[in-house]
Amino acid sequence: MSLLDELSARQIASGVQAGEFSAEEVCRASLDAIASRDAELHACLQVLEELALAKARELDRDRAAGRALPPLAGVPLAVKDNMNLIGSRTTCGSRMLEDYESPYTATCVQRMLDAGCLPIAKTNMDEFAFGSSTETSHFGKTANPWDAERVPGGSSGGSAAAVAAGEVTLALGSDTGGSIRQPAAFCGVVGLKPTYGAVSRYGVVAFGSSLDQVGPFGRRVEDVALAMNALLGEGHDPMDATSQDCPVDFLEHLEDPVEGLRVGIIADFIDAEGLSGEVRSAVLGAAEALADQGAELVDVSLPNVADSISAYYVIGPCEAFSNLARFDGVRYGYQEPGCATLAEQSAKSRAHGFGAEAKRRQMLGAYLLSSGVYERYYHKAQKARTLITKSYERAFEEVDVLLLPSSPRTAFKFGEISDPTQMYLSDMFTISSNIAGNGSVSVPLGLGEDSGLPVAVQLQGPAFKDRRLLTFARAVERGFEAEGRVAPAFAGKGGEL
Amino acid sequence: MKSLEEVLRDWEAVIGLEVHTELTTLTTKMFCGCELSHADEPNAHVCPVCLGLPGALPVPNREAIRSIVKAGLATGCEIEKRSMFYRKHYFYPDMAKNFQTTQGPVAFCMHGRLDLGVRGQGASELPDGAAAERAGDGSVPVTRGEDGYEVPIRILRIHMEEDAAKMNHLGGAEGRITEAAESLIDYNRCGTPLIELVTEPDLRTPEEARLFMEKLRRIFLTIGISDCSLESGSMRCDGNVSLRRKGETELGTKTELKNINSFKSLHDGLEYEIRRQAEVLEEGGTVRQETRHFEPGRKRTVVMRVKETADDYRLFPDPDLAPFDLSDGFIESCRAELPELPDAKRDRYMAAWGLRAEDAETLAGEPALAAFFEAAVAAGEPAHAQATANLVLNGVMGFWNAEGAGPAESPVSPEQVASLAALVAADAVTSAQAREVLPICAETGDDPAKIVDERGMRQVTDDDALLPVVEAVLARCPDQVRQYREGNVKVIGFLVGQCMRESKGKGNPKRFNELLRERLS
Repeated sequence: MSLLDELSARQIASGVQAGEFSAEEVCRASLDAIASRDAELHACLQVLEELALAKARELDRDRAAGRALPPLAGVPLAVKDNMNLIGSRTTCGSRMLEDYESPYTATCVQRMLDAGCLPIAKTNMDEFAFGSSTETSHFGKTANPWDAERVPGGSSGGSAAAVAAGEVTLALGSDTGGSIRQPAAFCGVVGLKPTYGAVSRYGVVAFGSSLDQVGPFGRRVEDVALAMNALLGEGHDPMDATSQDCPVDFLEHLEDPVEGLRVGIIADFIDAEGLSGEVRSAVLGAAEALADQGAELVDVSLPNVADSISAYYVIGPCEAFSNLARFDGVRYGYQEPGCATLAEQSAKSRAHGFGAEAKRRQMLGAYLLSSGVYERYYHKAQKARTLITKSYERAFEEVDVLLLPSSPRTAFKFGEISDPTQMYLSDMFTISSNIAGNGSVSVPLGLGEDSGLPVAVQLQGPAFKDRRLLTFARAVERGFEAEGRVAPAFAGKGGEL
Repeated sequence: MKSLEEVLRDWEAVIGLEVHTELTTLTTKMFCGCELSHADEPNAHVCPVCLGLPGALPVPNREAIRSIVKAGLATGCEIEKRSMFYRKHYFYPDMAKNFQTTQGPVAFCMHGRLDLGVRGQGASELPDGAAAERAGDGSVPVTRGEDGYEVPIRILRIHMEEDAAKMNHLGGAEGRITEAAESLIDYNRCGTPLIELVTEPDLRTPEEARLFMEKLRRIFLTIGISDCSLESGSMRCDGNVSLRRKGETELGTKTELKNINSFKSLHDGLEYEIRRQAEVLEEGGTVRQETRHFEPGRKRTVVMRVKETADDYRLFPDPDLAPFDLSDGFIESCRAELPELPDAKRDRYMAAWGLRAEDAETLAGEPALAAFFEAAVAAGEPAHAQATANLVLNGVMGFWNAEGAGPAESPVSPEQVASLAALVAADAVTSAQAREVLPICAETGDDPAKIVDERGMRQVTDDDALLPVVEAVLARCPDQVRQYREGNVKVIGFLVGQCMRESKGKGNPKRFNELLRERLS
């Protein structure tokens, strides 16, 4: 008898393949863990028992028929609730889509299912991914598994918390300005935002189309690498014109030494105002761990990168305004009853279907795109974006990876940050790689010396070098004791296998 | 209201056109794989992409890009190698995403030109002397000829966009959403690849606008990008028109004319609008910027919508669609696929076969018609090109119309037409007789020469047989002979008629005419 939350993805898949346990048993263990843990956590908006069991039984039948099982056979997966999956609702954490069922499945979800994952649950999120705490969800808050008084981060807070609490082994999130990496840091798990274009966005409800990227959460770098194999393995998705063909085996070089490779440290980030002491010292500890393994630490600068937040809060809202314009209650989604005209129905459906932050971002976008204003902000933001991208390219001529914090501090308490602009600063270290599009990953470093809460380091790599990024992540992981760790308050609660 | 002629003596009409053409010859929609078909039951051809469902993404149709590049090359445009799609936002359920994907400041095709030959009656709409003034607006000047004038019309751009869904408002008085009890949406059309051509405001008369549309339609038909039906709406045209006093350079306030579903409507709608605006201005009023609806039945325009402020569509580059980088190879491959264009074909007909310009233009305009005509000329031994052209234009086309057929499924073969044209050319039958022979050709499939002989229709051209008839008629009609000699030459028509009657319709009227003149001189 073992505990599901102690197993890696590889162990689960090989156990199912070897017949040590069936996929259905794994599925029931995961459902049992959710049953024992999620009342307190509220990471899951829907538990997809039937879908998951059907998938598990299909795998078990395949095995019984002597067929080789796919690499993630039987691995429990949670999916952020902005990703379409036939047979489930896609709420985006919003009243607007409370009852919305998509008639098609997102490519990223389908690829995980094809790799053998069990679709266990859809997870909570900030409404339409607008937020850094999962507090803007229409369906209630999600607790941080390490401290139930605190937020799990966001917007993919439900996915990060479900993995950190051991409810599932892998989860998918989406990252527009840090929505994978910041909750990964707050919850003490690995969270990867791949290079823009690496993972198909088809079927993922868009927030900022030029910024959004889907990526995996796991408790181990290896789990995340396996998920990347599944997401990228089939290459370019013909349904997403921005998706690129970049299939590589993420396991192949995972254990490679980092000796002789160069790690860039940016003084502006390490000494940034608002960076807490415990995060700073943990990040420097991660640098040291890499240096101990023979990597060379190099001081680099990233000119213009400070403009990332300004550029982001122009581009993001503009794209969000446009992408969310379709939610008018005409054909699906929340429809205000009793309206006399189309205009009234659209206006009221939107007024009452969207929450405050979703409205704030759309109004900001509507303003920024209006004639006379557009030229002053949007153009400037695009210019800044070009400069920031070039800045990164120059830095990566000198170093193989950049090392910086994921979040300026550890998880904050519910309601602690009420000023939206202060909330926006949660993403001060993550936004720049959405602007530039390159890949980045948050790796847990154990618990902070002051708060006792998870602390993390962020590694950023050149575009489409996500495999080497994970090699560095694995090197950091080796130096700390966070690997595979489930938050103690939840570890072992149900989920026996 | 004053007549158009009167108005244009004092005012200059400035006209620009916006022409939307659906790329009906493609098989799939602009950004998804749905079948292009408007005929099927509503919402039969829809998917998450064209329904704008959450999470769906557009993937551009490469064949549509080929079509617009061809359209640009065929209208003298520069092909922009780098251009982008933009999102144009407006809240209306005919566009499922509440934005239309279209192009921004740089379109695939920029700065083209079509040369119009304005001839005959229509040329008189442009007052004499207007040619010289016209050069001032940046367009190339008009060149006057004997029978009309030539004028180049600049094309600002041709851009690519997607069509909206079709809406059907039920229970309202005017078919508008505001009064409707129910509004139905058919998304079959939503996402249809559409190209929009915008002219510079270079047109000056309704006739020029009509000719421009006709010419454009002929070109688009020839390059095979659309069925170009104004009736069904696969080709749609909006006209912008404003007036200014002759000699002024500032533009007046324009109105936009919609609901134009025929070339005649375009002409008549613009004519009405020019006359209406002149009346408003001459009475000291001001023209309001508004969209007006043409009512062909009552030959008038009515207000559809007043534009008080410019709409703010919040245009910005579509982040789901990377900028296009068209290669030279791609553009050249499009060029290589272009067939002979109507102007070149017309010139060839004139140069090689000596056809009259107007005949050549008409025949070269419709690809299927041109193919039929060329087949008929080729079948003739020897070729009688002008006679064949006359027969096709003045006989065969009317026959097709009556039969509900066309050149592609013609009930008479090009070989039959060639043979019949040879008979006309040899004066063996008259044009009128040739028209009578056509249905018999279709019915029997026989060679026209056989039909003519069997039915005794062949005309006598032999002078030995005709001269006695002429002599007899002259002897019988001394009054007319005297009148002719006194200078009333028109009377010859009467005498020819008498000869025809005398010969029971078999004598050749042309030869009778010649023989009569000889004898009377």
